[in-house]
Amino acid sequence: MKRPVQENLFEEGPPPRLLGSRCRETGELFYPVQAMNPVTHREGTMEQVALPSTGVLLNFSRIARAAPGLPSPFAIGIIALDGGPTLTAQLTDWQDVELRTGMPVEMTLGCVRTEPDGTSLIGPQYRPAGGSRT
Amino acid sequence: MSGVYVVAAGMTPFRQHPDTAVHELARQAVWAAITSSGIDPEAIELAYAGHAYQGQCFGQKALLKIGITGMPIVNCENACASGASAVWGVYNAIKAGQADIGLALGAEKLSGRGGGFTPMVADDLESIMGRVMPAVFAMMARKHMERYGTTLEQMASVAVKNRRGGVLNPYSAWTENITIEEVLAAPMIAEPLTRLSCCPVSDGAAAVILASERVVRRLTGKPVAIRAAVMASGRRNDVGMADDNSEMTIRAARQAYEIAGIGPDEIDVCELHDPFTIAELVHCEDLGFCAPGEAGPLALGGHFDRDGAVAVSPSGGLLARGHPLGATGVAQIAELFWQLRGEAGDRQVPDARAGLAHTVGGGVTGIEAGATSIHILTR
Repeated sequence: MKRPVQENLFEEGPPPRLLGSRCRETGELFYPVQAMNPVTHREGTMEQVALPSTGVLLNFSRIARAAPGLPSPFAIGIIALDGGPTLTAQLTDWQDVELRTGMPVEMTLGCVRTEPDGTSLIGPQYRPAGGSRT
Repeated sequence: MSGVYVVAAGMTPFRQHPDTAVHELARQAVWAAITSSGIDPEAIELAYAGHAYQGQCFGQKALLKIGITGMPIVNCENACASGASAVWGVYNAIKAGQADIGLALGAEKLSGRGGGFTPMVADDLESIMGRVMPAVFAMMARKHMERYGTTLEQMASVAVKNRRGGVLNPYSAWTENITIEEVLAAPMIAEPLTRLSCCPVSDGAAAVILASERVVRRLTGKPVAIRAAVMASGRRNDVGMADDNSEMTIRAARQAYEIAGIGPDEIDVCELHDPFTIAELVHCEDLGFCAPGEAGPLALGGHFDRDGAVAVSPSGGLLARGHPLGATGVAQIAELFWQLRGEAGDRQVPDARAGLAHTVGGGVTGIEAGATSIHILTR
């Protein structure tokens, strides 16, 4: 059994993309989807959009001892999406890579958590995309 | 403006209490505050009870055991800042003239919850997906190391110093000191934080009794004044607490110093939010005890030791006194009460006149964190 970790969080694609909101008045992108603009405090100005699938790793940690339901070990990072918002998500395909700040990453979908009944929760993960930018 | 004073404090040891109900732990802490001060339980006019996971009407369940019933009892949850929120609530009620004598209690029982990391904010998206607290503070550490050159040894020295405080503190479970080498060699939890860089899972309760200017002299000859009680929540932020400073703490501290008319250079003793070693360094900078980037070398040099320029977490802090979430903020006020009255035993800070307590609570995606509190106390 598997299901999305949260409804209306991503589209499967390919390529998979996170869903967010763009304000028609200010152009600002938000993640995840927002009911209203929390910066302008206005309602009815947001439209749902697919967010960029690539970004840059700003920070990361490898967690050796996981909490129940999480992969063990696992890695997590802060990712600034290209032209979009910044978010925290699990990394994947990191075991044989020297993670570093500024590393380009791209989104994939994977099991981010396993429920006590064995259900896999599917959500965004980011893997190294090769090359380096700052 | 009329003052608000701490007139009594009590707490249980912070350790695993698997066979004691949380309400009983809370009763013991309240009763210790009452018996150590001789204050009549019937004189307490209101109470705030801080906790994160103890269920509905937790405060009433604890206080009915002593026979404290009938008056307003407000339960409050603000994650790791729940206990501090209870103190803030009682302070404001007395300040507003709602009562002359009020009780703030905090308690938490974390043992028996399956072990592992402290439970997360249950329905928070990024927490569900793995943004566990050790990972957040590990990234705080990486950022501080990259920006300022803070070293693993400097961070480890915080654990060593706070363990020294915990060993001297009868309310701590720790009995043995540790070395920097032992901290660095301990099993890795979240790079670069090892197990000895993280606070333990513990249970416990703490209580303080606050009084108005009008009645304080009837209750004690050694009151401790609360000169500022400030709370704030995190502003919109997309990295949470995983940064090299806490804007929320800086903002609340500035406000508290202004209200108290006391600057950071006048603080003798500080109990701050140190669930992980790096947090103490970051918050010493946020609270103005040194400039950004200076805390690492200063910590290693003893600046924040009990006999240093400002004694930080002489109780052992969250790292070595323990961190039963809802109890922590109240325990910090209790520790300052004892320090400022010269009653802190082997861990006494020499001639402590002014103290500051600081908590941070709640990992919430989209803001820096749920809550912060700053209390400034003087003898």
